[in-house]
Amino acid sequence: MNPVPAFVSYEFAGREELCLCAGAQSLRRILLVPPLFDEMNRMRKMLVDVMHSLEALDIGSFLPDLPGTNESFVALETVTLSDWQNAVKACAQQNDISHIASFRGGVLAVAGLPSASHWIFNPVKGATLLRTMLRTKVASDKESGFSTSVAELTSRAEANPLELAGNIVGSDLFKQLNSAGIPALAKQRIVRLDSDNKPCDGQIQGSALWLRAEPDEDPAMSAAIAQDINEWLGL
Amino acid sequence: MQNEVELTPEAAVRAVMRDILGLSEEQVAEFTAETELFGALPELDSMAVAGLLTELEDRLDIMIEDDEVDGELFETFGNLVAFAETKVTE
Repeated sequence: MNPVPAFVSYEFAGREELCLCAGAQSLRRILLVPPLFDEMNRMRKMLVDVMHSLEALDIGSFLPDLPGTNESFVALETVTLSDWQNAVKACAQQNDISHIASFRGGVLAVAGLPSASHWIFNPVKGATLLRTMLRTKVASDKESGFSTSVAELTSRAEANPLELAGNIVGSDLFKQLNSAGIPALAKQRIVRLDSDNKPCDGQIQGSALWLRAEPDEDPAMSAAIAQDINEWLGL
Repeated sequence: MQNEVELTPEAAVRAVMRDILGLSEEQVAEFTAETELFGALPELDSMAVAGLLTELEDRLDIMIEDDEVDGELFETFGNLVAFAETKVTE
């Protein structure tokens, strides 16, 4: 039976935010930056499985709640991308971590740590994430009898907070995400699924859980991610 | 760094369907032009369709406008592949 990961907290903007932690006493430690919005929910079980696998390899891992997400008491509509970047930086510094693994849109929240070593899984631009959320809103508006468009919703979201697929996204967060590209980091390893045709430094077999209708798991992929991170970290 | 590999529109549609529905390569290889999609596959709800369109844009480097998307597009696998083929030649 695997030990259960424990919640610890980190301080950001005068508040305590939660962080799931496994194997904190290990000498090798890594911060896991989760995907954003719905993708985080769909991949959380997979990430917790990664934490178990890392612990079995004697690697400690920390999975913070970004402000406004998961158990955070902060209202998402007040949060900006800069807050997420500063929160990730604060969590890394408070736990003395210099290696960061980010998943999907999580890579957009690592800009506060340019000199850290980055392991990056299937990175995505902010505009791509928003486009799917805007399309979902166009479809749900249509079902409610309203006719909207991606362009119209974009202008609305740039001026006022807008509910997108269950998330109230503030206009600063929307604008920052919409222009946030995948950062080019000095020390990085980009890993993608073997079904992906984009440039990368390594591929693993697995499922694009972020595209699924419901949260799911892929234990073999979680183990493969932990193994890749293990080799990347070295001894 | 491994370079980007060019995908045919049909291969891209097949790969996205496989990812969204969580199918094996063998299962998705059995899709034909007549395979029914929207309505026949419960996983393909409006959110999944939104993700599918964005993934196709990303993998084929195309832009899909709101007014190009209608119910007919998702009726069959063949319709979706034909649409993707038209978009890449635009």
